[in-house]
Amino acid sequence: MLRIARENRLLVLLTVGLASWLVPGGGYFILKETKRSLIVFSTIVLTFCVGLYVGSIGVIDTVGATAWYVYAAQIMTSPVVAILGYITAGGGFPVYSRPNEIGQIYTSTAGLLNLLCIVNAVYLCHTRNLQITE
Amino acid sequence: MSEHWFFITALFTAPENIGVNPESMFWLLPLAMSIAVVYKATKLPSIKWSALLKESVILFGSIVVFLAVVAVVLFAVTWVVTE
Repeated sequence: MLRIARENRLLVLLTVGLASWLVPGGGYFILKETKRSLIVFSTIVLTFCVGLYVGSIGVIDTVGATAWYVYAAQIMTSPVVAILGYITAGGGFPVYSRPNEIGQIYTSTAGLLNLLCIVNAVYLCHTRNLQITE
Repeated sequence: MSEHWFFITALFTAPENIGVNPESMFWLLPLAMSIAVVYKATKLPSIKWSALLKESVILFGSIVVFLAVVAVVLFAVTWVVTE
């Protein structure tokens, strides 16, 4: 019985983490932290969109000279980044110099901020579970 | 509707023209603001708009001041080394 409860708890934590990754702020929304989820969603999406606006979708470069860790940071924003990476893989959106740098910095920072929110939402869910079971 | 959609998607398919000049450093300001807002949104125990705004502005100011100090120090070190 205790084992089932632990598995359920793990499933809830995974769901919150996955929801946070699928849609920025999604994990907080599941935890009924509506204001927090709205702020996180709007800020992260806006930051990511500014990066795409400055450097175009070409800043998501999966096959070019961009370092792997830049793409790793970008994809933490949402799985949508993988779709954009698939679109730009043909090399039809070349971007160089300062727009490329600023675009990559904005999109990677949006991803890293979402990683922070994923970890925080999972931790919040974990502490609430502990309070319920105690 | 389709024209609007085409216009919006076109905004994201060509890069902006940003030169390599000192003014381009101002692009760090919106980024610092978004970092401050998201960080404080995760740290505040309960979200109240006034508290979030106040905390975010303080953190934003701290980031900008710290970066300015780092820039001055680096500039001084470069000046000492090259002179």
